[in-house]
This record gives sequence, structure tokens and C-alpha cells, in this order.
Amino acid sequence: MQSEKYSQYVDIMVPLFRALQNYRLGNLVDSYQAFEKSANAFIQEFRNWDSAWALDALHVVAYEIRVLAERADRELGAIGKNPEKLKGAGSFLMKVFGVLAGKGPKRVGALYVTCQLFKIYFKLGTVHLCRSVIRSIETARIFDFEEFPIRDKVTYMYYTGRLEVFNENFPAADHKLSYALTHCNSRSEANIRMILKYLIPVKLSIGMIPKNSLLEKYNLTEYSNIVLALKRGDLRLLRHALREHEDRFLRSGVYLVLEKLELQVYQRLVKKIYIIQKQKDPNKAHQIKLEVIVKALKWLEMDMDVDEVECIMSILIYKNLVKGYFAHKSKVAVLSKQDPFPKLNGKPVGS
Amino acid sequence: MAERSLPKYTRGRRNTHRSSSSSTFADSSLHFQSSRKFQSNNPTNHTTRSSEPNSNPNDNNITNWDTADDQANHPTLVGTCPFMCPVEERVQRERLRDLAVFERLHGNPRKSSPTLAVKKFCRTISAKHDQASNVRPLSVLEDTLNYLSNLWDSTEHPFEVVHDFIFDRTRSIRQDLSMQNIVGGQVIQLYERMVKFHVISHHKLRRCCGNSNISSMHHLNMEQLTKAVTSLYNLYEANRTSHSIYENEAEFRSFYVLLHLGSDSQPMGESISLWFRRVPSLVMKSKEMCFARRVLRYFRLGNYKHFICTTEAEASYLQYCIIEPYICEVQALAVCCVNYGGYKLNPYPLEDLSRLLMMKESDVESFCSGCGLQIYTDEIGKKFLPTKQTNFSHPKKVFQNYSLLQSERLERAAAECSKLL
Repeated sequence: MQSEKYSQYVDIMVPLFRALQNYRLGNLVDSYQAFEKSANAFIQEFRNWDSAWALDALHVVAYEIRVLAERADRELGAIGKNPEKLKGAGSFLMKVFGVLAGKGPKRVGALYVTCQLFKIYFKLGTVHLCRSVIRSIETARIFDFEEFPIRDKVTYMYYTGRLEVFNENFPAADHKLSYALTHCNSRSEANIRMILKYLIPVKLSIGMIPKNSLLEKYNLTEYSNIVLALKRGDLRLLRHALREHEDRFLRSGVYLVLEKLELQVYQRLVKKIYIIQKQKDPNKAHQIKLEVIVKALKWLEMDMDVDEVECIMSILIYKNLVKGYFAHKSKVAVLSKQDPFPKLNGKPVGS
Repeated sequence: MAERSLPKYTRGRRNTHRSSSSSTFADSSLHFQSSRKFQSNNPTNHTTRSSEPNSNPNDNNITNWDTADDQANHPTLVGTCPFMCPVEERVQRERLRDLAVFERLHGNPRKSSPTLAVKKFCRTISAKHDQASNVRPLSVLEDTLNYLSNLWDSTEHPFEVVHDFIFDRTRSIRQDLSMQNIVGGQVIQLYERMVKFHVISHHKLRRCCGNSNISSMHHLNMEQLTKAVTSLYNLYEANRTSHSIYENEAEFRSFYVLLHLGSDSQPMGESISLWFRRVPSLVMKSKEMCFARRVLRYFRLGNYKHFICTTEAEASYLQYCIIEPYICEVQALAVCCVNYGGYKLNPYPLEDLSRLLMMKESDVESFCSGCGLQIYTDEIGKKFLPTKQTNFSHPKKVFQNYSLLQSERLERAAAECSKLL
């Protein structure tokens, strides 16, 4: 009688002990397999409980299975086998998500599992799998996002913000990453750094430039020269900075975002010429000979002819980074007397 | 969109196929499996065939993952069919008069021969198609592709007809390859040639008119292009032995970038930023990829002048085939910018515009009117585009009648390349 009542716990406990034993012996693949068995038995029980009393335990399982799977995969890779445990952990957590995501008191734990799933999908390079989970979180009317624990909200916004960066959806990326930054524990500098790593390129692309002290404090100096290039209108420096950190920017997925800053650098260059001309002769400042821009670019060792500069000016005008017109015949750009260099004001170029 | 068929047929067959002869393939399939985690598409949707149009990658059934053990333990089919077309299929199609024009012996719609008939692509795979005698081994598939390549050069039939035939039969080649799970380095060249076929077709189909099916053929071709090219990338990954890259890999990888030039287009279901994250550094730094990345930058910045010049000066013929649809878009942007930002009292000479767009002056004129803009002629017959016109619109009609870029270099490259399929 007694044994029957608790028989289900056997399915949880026995493999768990086996997992611990294997872990102690350093057999991580075996440990993972036993742990997954135990976790499956646990979720089976958890599903039947009406209350969410075991949520903390479930979160421990969700966390441990991911970390264990990563280590098991390293072991598999080392012996030339296919590392597929993390993928397996992903399908297990998807099951857990299914148990939590419905109505009821367990839902509050769903975001934690979502974040563990994100970590797996980002690691495996299968981020498109995030979409269905995101949909389930964001379309649910029965549960207010704000009711999730703050820690999970920050992680969630960090990952979804990164996804928006990949898709170059800057206003959304700005919103999500800024949310993560403002709600992140101010003492966890490593996390703030991770958020800033993506938020800075997003802010730059909507015309907001960080202070140098921020870059230094969080050791994000790979952006220093890019910021400097934007301030100076130095196209060569922008290209140089992109080349210098190319691999890093490509891996993190911000390369294309930074590359697009070129138009803002051109804008700054024209603005500098305008300011210098204004100091000389305020009446003629708004007329810029294209030849002057060619010369400025030559100082930067960028070879461009008048036609190419005309093309750049026409784009700047078309994208509303410069107000004015260009005269093809006389090779002059004439700037508007009012607000010749409109600010982006938090909007991406050309929007 | 990945070539779904590659790992999938073997799964679908699991219960029907019994010949177990494939410990040699188990290893390669394992490698392949390990590369699949990087695939952009849904790895789980077992029921979708390779023939399905882009299925929605959102519809994931994430809990259904196959494990590597599944892949390795079940037997792999090894085809034994010695002909381009299995005898059974040929006889049946002769009876049903289902012979393509290239397959008819002396033009007889009921009679074919082993040297003419080529196995058709099959939408639904039944147990019968699984028989080894109906599947061609690699050497026969190579011969089949060589045979199709020769047809490609034939001028006897209109291009659409040739395309249609090769389109279907190369698809069947890929189907046979995936049924046998042949994913070793030896098929890379085969895939490259098939991708090349789709790329050139992508270009040529735009120029075919007079057939109302062209736009759907163009669409279907694009679909198979993305599938074949994704399979090819997987093959590169799965067969990489050291830090080297394959001979043509850089150029074929550059297609991915060029296929994504359009602002919102994600034909392969993944943004370029994501894709860049896992492209080998050697590929990223290759000449071909640097070209594609520059073209991408010019496109994204709107730098029409450099976009057009660079394409004209540096694109390989195959790269040009993919870029071409965007050239028109960039030319329209150029006209738009000139019209928008030009000084009202300085109408823009068409002569200069023609140099800028690399179009004949007469073509510029019709292009501008296609954009809804007026042209004016002065007293000595020089033509101008008056600026600040308000009714610019993007040209709707595709300009197929003339070469978009006036370029002798590209014409030469086209002549050299189109023969080599």
C-alpha cells in the first residue's frame, strides 16, 4: 500500500541518484541521460499537481538540464561523436514550457523556462525556434507580462532585443534592450555589459552617442573608434574600426548595423565643413562646393571624384540627413538655412 | 529554406526499407546530422516533402527531434538502377504518353529509349520508389547530369522548354541523392552545377516573354535555387576536414548575400546578420565574398553610383545573374534621388544620367517615363530630366527588353560561362 503510493517517486529518485553518481565519476553523457529520465518523471508528476508549489524545484531542473547537456556535449565532441544532448534538453524544456504556459498559477514560471530555451537556441544557432515561444508569451491576454519575476523579464528582454538587432528592427530593439538595462541589477556589471554590447550599436544607429566613460567602465572599447569616427566625420576611422574588430562584430551580429553608420559619418563631415565655412564667411557657409568635400575625403585618403560625392550628397538629402539641394551644373550643394542637418531623434536613418 | 529531403527520406523510409548495407554511410550521415543543427529551417517537420513550397518555419514541432542514433542505426538505400530512367518508369510513361519532347525516339510520343528517358521527379514516395532498382547510384546520377548539361546548350527548343525539363530532372537527381543519403564531398561538384543551372535560369527566365507561365516558373526556380544552395552549404560544412575551403565555395556562398540584397527579403528564412555569425572566416575574407559584402553595403546605403560601377566591374556572371533584378531597383533609386535633390533650375542631362546608370540614353528616357517623369529636349536636341518633379513612382513594368547594364565585360563573361553547366 505504502510503496504503491510513493512508487512514482522511484522513477524520479533512482535515475537522479544515478545521474549524481555518474557526475561524480565524470561520465557526463551517462549523467545527462539519467538526469533527463529523472526530469521526465518529475514533470509527469508536476503536471498533475494543481498548485505551483514545486516551481522552484522545476526551475532547478530546467537550469541543471541545460548546463549538464552543454557539458555532456563537450564530452561527446571530444570523442568525435555527435553532440546532440543540448538539442535534447531543448525538446525537454519545450515540454516543460507546454506544462507551464497554460492558464493557472504555474504560468508565472513559464518565463524562466523560456529564457533557458533562448540560451539553448542561441547557443545552437537555431534562433528561429524562439519565435513560437515568443508568440506564446506575447499574445497571451490572460497573463500580464509585468507579473513575471523581474529577473526573468530582464533576461527575456535581453534575448528578444538581440533578435530584433539581427532583424535590424531598431525601435523595437531599443525598447527591449533599454528595458533590460533599466531593470537589470545595477551591481551585475557583467550583465550590464552584455546588454550594452547590443544596445550601443542600436543607439548609434538612431543617432545617440554614448560617453567614452561608459565604454571604458564596461570594457566596450571596441566601439571607441566607431564613436570617435561619428564625432569627427572620419570615414577612414570607421572603416578601420570595422576592419579591426570585424570577426568580433560578425560573430555578435552587429556588423551590418555598424556598417550602416557610414551615412551619419558623411553627414558629420559635411557639417564640419559647413561649420568651418561659417567661421570664415557666414554668408556663404550654406554653399558647399563638391570639390571641397572631395578634398576633405582626400585628406582621409579616400579617393572619390565629384560624381561620387554628388551621389553621396543626393542620398544624404533623400534620406533627410541634409536639407538642401545640389546643383549638378555648378557642382555645389546648397544647404537649407534652417536646420540643414536634421537630427535623427531616436529614429533610424531614412524612416 | 533547406533541402528538406536530405535527411528526411531516410526517416520516412525507416519501416519500409529492409536492405541493410550501409555502415559506410552511417558515419557520413552522422556528420551531416551534426551540421544540421545550424540549418536555418525547421528540422522536425517530417511530413513536409522537399516539393512543398516554402513552408512556414514558425510551425515547429520542437519536441519531435530525431536523435543521432536514429540516423545512424537505420539502413541506407543503395541504388542499382543502371539507366538514367528506371525501366519500369520508362515503360509506364511510354504507355501513358508521358514523354517530354527530349525523350521521344524520332519524335514518337509513345516511344523512348534508355539513352533518352530521364527519371522524373516524384512528389510522393511510396514503397515502390524505395526499391534499389528504381534508384540510381552516384555514377549514373553523374552521367545523367552530364547528359542534361548537353541538352542545356541545345538551341532547338525555346529556353522555357529546356529549362522546364532540366528543372524537373535535376530535382529528381537531388531526390535520388537524398534517398541514398549521399552527403560526401563527391557530390559537392554535382550540387554546384545544379545551383549554377538555377542561377542562370533565374536570369534567363526574366528575359523570356510571351509565355504566361513564366512568372510562376521564375518563382519555382527561385524556390529550388534556395533549396539546392542550402544543401550545398550543408555539404561544405559537413565535409570540411581542416580550415580550408572548397574551390568554388566562396563564390557560391556569396550568392546567399546577393539573394538577400532586397531590404525585406529573407528567401532562406534567416537574416544576413545571423548567417554571417557562422560563415567561416576564410570565406568571409575571400575576394568573392568581399565583393558581395561591398555590393550589399552600397545597396543598403543607397550608394547607387558605387553599386552600379562595382557590379559592372567585378561581378562574375553568376553573381550578376542574381544581382540583376536589384539593378533596376537601384537605378530607380538613382533617378529618384536626382529628381528629389537636384536644383530646380539645373535639369539633369540624360547624357550624364546614362553614364551614371550605365544605360543607353534612349533606354534612360523610357526608364524615366516608366518612373512617371517627364523629359524635355532643348533647342539643339539635348535631352534633360527636369528635377523636383512630384510624380515619381517606382517602375512597375519589368524592363526586359534591354540589358540593364551596358557592359562588354559582363557580356563576355556570360558567353564564357553559360556553356559550362
